[in-house]
Amino acid sequence: MIRKSFIFLCLAGLLTGCCPHRTTVVLVPDPEGHVGTVAVQTQGGEQIIAESGQGVIVKNEKDAPSPATSFNEQDIRDIFGKALDIEPPVPEKFVLQFKIDSTALLPESEILIPKIIDSIRQRASFDISINGHSDRAGKDGYNLELSLKRARYIEGLIVKAGIDKKYITTTSHGEGNPVIFTADGVAEPRNRRVEVIVR
Amino acid sequence: MVMKPCFCMLIVFLLLPVLVLAEEAPVGSIKTLDGEVVVVRKDQMLPAAIGMPVFKGDIAQTSKTGSVGIVFRDDTIISLGPESTLNIAEYVFEPKTEQFSVLMKMLKGTFVYISGAIGRLSPEAIRLETPSSMIGIRGTKILIEVNE
Repeated sequence: MIRKSFIFLCLAGLLTGCCPHRTTVVLVPDPEGHVGTVAVQTQGGEQIIAESGQGVIVKNEKDAPSPATSFNEQDIRDIFGKALDIEPPVPEKFVLQFKIDSTALLPESEILIPKIIDSIRQRASFDISINGHSDRAGKDGYNLELSLKRARYIEGLIVKAGIDKKYITTTSHGEGNPVIFTADGVAEPRNRRVEVIVR
Repeated sequence: MVMKPCFCMLIVFLLLPVLVLAEEAPVGSIKTLDGEVVVVRKDQMLPAAIGMPVFKGDIAQTSKTGSVGIVFRDDTIISLGPESTLNIAEYVFEPKTEQFSVLMKMLKGTFVYISGAIGRLSPEAIRLETPSSMIGIRGTKILIEVNE
């Protein structure tokens, strides 16, 4: 038993201890121009980056990451050019709203349906999500069912326009994925919606 | 044609793993692709293709001239430059039951990571791992390089 675990430890040591595996992490603005924060951690410590174009280098798993340093556009291109060039476009999201207690669309949402079909065709999308969402008022079960009913209604419209159903995933997120965070029991019309995501 | 009951049973048993596998939903799909890229799934090496679904446990590998972009169910985006390996070790996106868990292992190469809905709803549920570090993010885009 002891021998076995010893051999295992040696093997693990060989696998993880052989190469330093230098890691570089650089923070850049997201597609909406927003810059968040990133924390890079090793056994030796942690370094937080909160500024665009700043990065840290980790030499190995034992030592703390380097302090944040600047990476200019050329550095970034040199290292990450190919990965950046193949970065997929951000999925397009459509938010649809409905008349109360109904699967009937509000007029301002109705006009989005042809835009959704156009987007699917333009992107040649093989991956479309239709997600029903509810707010935190009323009974969970009822909200969930209504939001799913609405999502299925939208799916029907999209399939009728000639989009293959096999590329569409229709679900309800219930109250678990709100636009506006609220306490339980609070009515929030903006959270009652169906989102169509075209990837 | 009437099949013998034992033969029917045999077919059911043979199909069982397929049925179980089919129940596991894809966690995302391949959206962009250039050059040679493979997806290692269980014991299989599958050539990547645009529109191909990816599953938890898949390992995406790009060749010397390959690159690939993956969009996940919560709209997280990860792209890989040449000679890169990504293990989709864990991916749970269940807003209905508020369960979120992501573990991406960036084993070597270059990566672009753009956080999606999980980054907004539960950023602490996201772990990005390289052989020498753990990376935590708060709703953003980052670039990662791992040298061997």
